[in-house]
Amino acid sequence: MSLFTLGIARGLLGQVLGMVIGMLLTCAVRILLGWEAWAAEPAWTVGAVCSIIGFLLGVGSLDDWLKWTKGIPTPLHHGPPVDKPAWTRYFSVDYNHKVIGVQYTVWGILLLMVGGTVAMIFRTELARSGLQFLGLDLYNSFIGMHGMIMIFAILLGVGGMANYLVPLMIGAEDMAFPRLNALGFWFNVPGSVLLLLSLFVGGWDAGWTAYPPLSARGPIGYQLFFLGVFAIGLSSIVGSLNLLVTLLRMRPEGMSLFRMPIFCWAVFATSLIQLTATQLIGTSFLMVSVQRALGMGFFDPRGILGEVSPMVGGGDPVLFQHLFWFYSHPAVYIFVLPGLGIVSELLPVFSRKPLFGYKWIALSSMAIAIVGFLVWGHHMFVSGYNDILRIPFMYATLLVAIPTGVKFFSWLGTIWGGKVHFDTPMLFVLGAISVFLIGGLTGPILATVPTDFPLHDSYFVVGHFHATMFGGFVFPFFAALYYWFPKVTGRMYNETLGKIHFFIMTPAFWVQTLGQMGVGVMGMRRRIADYDPTLGAGQIESWQLAVTIAGFAIAFGVMLMLWNFFQNAEVGAAAGDNPWRSRSPEWQIPSPVPEHSFPAPLHVVGEPYDYGLADAGYVTTASTGDD
Amino acid sequence: MAKNRRHFGIVTVLIVICTFVVYWVLDSVLLKPAAAVLEAGPIDYLFDLHIWLIAFLFALVAVFMCYALIVFRARGDEGDGEHIHGNGTLEIIWTVVPCFVVIYFAWISTTMLIDLSRPNPDEYVVNAEGRQWSWLFTYPESGAVTPDLVLPVDTPIRMDLTSDDVLHNFWVPEFRVKQDTVPGMVTHVRFTPTIIGDYVLRCAELCGTNHSGMLATVRVVSAEDFQLWQSEQLAQVQE
Repeated sequence: MSLFTLGIARGLLGQVLGMVIGMLLTCAVRILLGWEAWAAEPAWTVGAVCSIIGFLLGVGSLDDWLKWTKGIPTPLHHGPPVDKPAWTRYFSVDYNHKVIGVQYTVWGILLLMVGGTVAMIFRTELARSGLQFLGLDLYNSFIGMHGMIMIFAILLGVGGMANYLVPLMIGAEDMAFPRLNALGFWFNVPGSVLLLLSLFVGGWDAGWTAYPPLSARGPIGYQLFFLGVFAIGLSSIVGSLNLLVTLLRMRPEGMSLFRMPIFCWAVFATSLIQLTATQLIGTSFLMVSVQRALGMGFFDPRGILGEVSPMVGGGDPVLFQHLFWFYSHPAVYIFVLPGLGIVSELLPVFSRKPLFGYKWIALSSMAIAIVGFLVWGHHMFVSGYNDILRIPFMYATLLVAIPTGVKFFSWLGTIWGGKVHFDTPMLFVLGAISVFLIGGLTGPILATVPTDFPLHDSYFVVGHFHATMFGGFVFPFFAALYYWFPKVTGRMYNETLGKIHFFIMTPAFWVQTLGQMGVGVMGMRRRIADYDPTLGAGQIESWQLAVTIAGFAIAFGVMLMLWNFFQNAEVGAAAGDNPWRSRSPEWQIPSPVPEHSFPAPLHVVGEPYDYGLADAGYVTTASTGDD
Repeated sequence: MAKNRRHFGIVTVLIVICTFVVYWVLDSVLLKPAAAVLEAGPIDYLFDLHIWLIAFLFALVAVFMCYALIVFRARGDEGDGEHIHGNGTLEIIWTVVPCFVVIYFAWISTTMLIDLSRPNPDEYVVNAEGRQWSWLFTYPESGAVTPDLVLPVDTPIRMDLTSDDVLHNFWVPEFRVKQDTVPGMVTHVRFTPTIIGDYVLRCAELCGTNHSGMLATVRVVSAEDFQLWQSEQLAQVQE
């Protein structure tokens, strides 16, 4: 079997060829115009665009549509590829949502490891003041790289959970548009490759937010970074469209919106944001890219900033921040809503009690999604925009606390009076609540403008959003991995190792996030390669050391988890179909889930979370007779 | 129900204790820089109010959660918990009460913000320009241009900020307030230094390679010393 039977290998080859063709195309045009043939930035930019297309053609994600244009029908193929080993389907285009869900998740975990490694490198640098082994430019590239790789990883993790679980939870055969679903995943691979490649053509030193004018004058790495993000953005848009249609159109008989498993509500709210906001980060990055490549001064006030092309000025750097945050604030809710959905989904199972206030939790996700669109200006309290705007943005931002509070209180209501089991997934759910609590409670102090002044752009913000990201995504994601691992593999992970992972990672994360906030209060700015050792009456270095050690402990915990999964995926104890005694549809079918998940259409006959009520069913696959 | 009432009694006591403990811990662990301007008064007051809120809400959720986990743990049996789907009154209470709390915080912050940014007719104006990776201060009154900032104590100051290249940010941690400098526009920040001494101005907006080292000394001096310094600068300018 040759390597190129794997779609991903063909795709990467296609990406390289696309890059070369794009570069040659640029040179050809320049020669025709009578210019010097080689100019690095335009060549790389056009090359990067072509490389994304090259990848998609190579991997075969566009094959069916191209055949349709020629009138060739392509029936949907079910099951593993015909003349290849079954495992190769995970490395090639496959239309089964369960395969795509695993592809998303594994690619997400890989990026999580890359992003985490980058973090460990500069965390080691920060353990002491002074520059030890990183240069200033490399440090600045690394912080942005860590941020954006982690965002990719989170989006992939969210995509993995949503794609695997949503059709199973609503008893659908597959997603509404299987080909689009595959395309949605495969955009991520060339996107990640471009992002990583950017480090080798100068990197980009303006952080993941890439504010111009700085991002308009830095190295070529910016162009690859912008286009990489653009590819991931396309993935978000087609993926969310697919999920919305699936949730709205493919629910079985009897499953009203308020009878969906609660995770579906979270995915619905997330997808609404993704479908409508992602365009804005695409636009803002594309505009900087065009400003650099073609000299259009969108964000350039005075016409002095171009190094590549002469500029005319007339632009506004603050405008970029509006466009950027109009996506990038709601993006925070894209990251955390599915995680909070996982918390709401798992708490009833392990508390053996109905979800407290189902409708309130469902609608609080929608409320967060909607209010989330009105708060982008809180990232810009000190940006120099109209002072009066700070006040409405402050009110809107504080309002987010209310639906978030509803979730917390409803979770407490779910545990209260239950019979709580402390298996590893439940531990991570509880860890998520504790960490998200820290993240949530440190929000209002940043939302009220007077207290934001000292904390804005300080390390306090770093601590705050790491707590929201870990509490809202990482901990719930890990809970989900442990929880559905037996469903995906049919095997049980090692419970002891899982618990060790939890008891290392959770306290370590508390130390890390509180330490970061602490040094921020002392007056340490974020995104600095070196800090003043006299801050905090000279205590800052010991705090930084503690944060670094905690970071390494978290990394160790994650390695432990991956080892646990890797080791038990094939040889672990058989898990059985429903080890958690869940009522959710996906646990009523065999583990691992067969190619066609459900033998017959589902009928919903009751409430999803009727734990504690004898003989109350939720779904049945029993045929009603005449269909 | 009576059992629940006893639980709630214990939880309430624990929450009160835990609130004070968390506040005490945060208050002693968080090391704010010294306060060297008038504006630090209200800002630090609001900060303290937030710490109380954080301590209370943390105690509320953490105590309830930990208590429930201990009391309602499964004791080896495979049975289910109580079949309760929710409580509309409770949901309304914990939606409406936080509404009032956040509106209260937003309201006091609004009045404070308006006070903080109100122009003062006696304010002394200094222009500052950020550039990669240093600062340049111009004193319109004397025409002096310096790389470090010298300010008179107990005088309301307005900094008119701009940038020569990329975004920077004017921040002296002891002064609390913070403002971006943006090329092509002038932004303002107002404060009144109250303590004579040397401080460090730190650029707080990522601005490229040497962002971490973009510092300037801020000397707050007595009114007499400032006059002396200003006439020296004036003499230099006239030479």
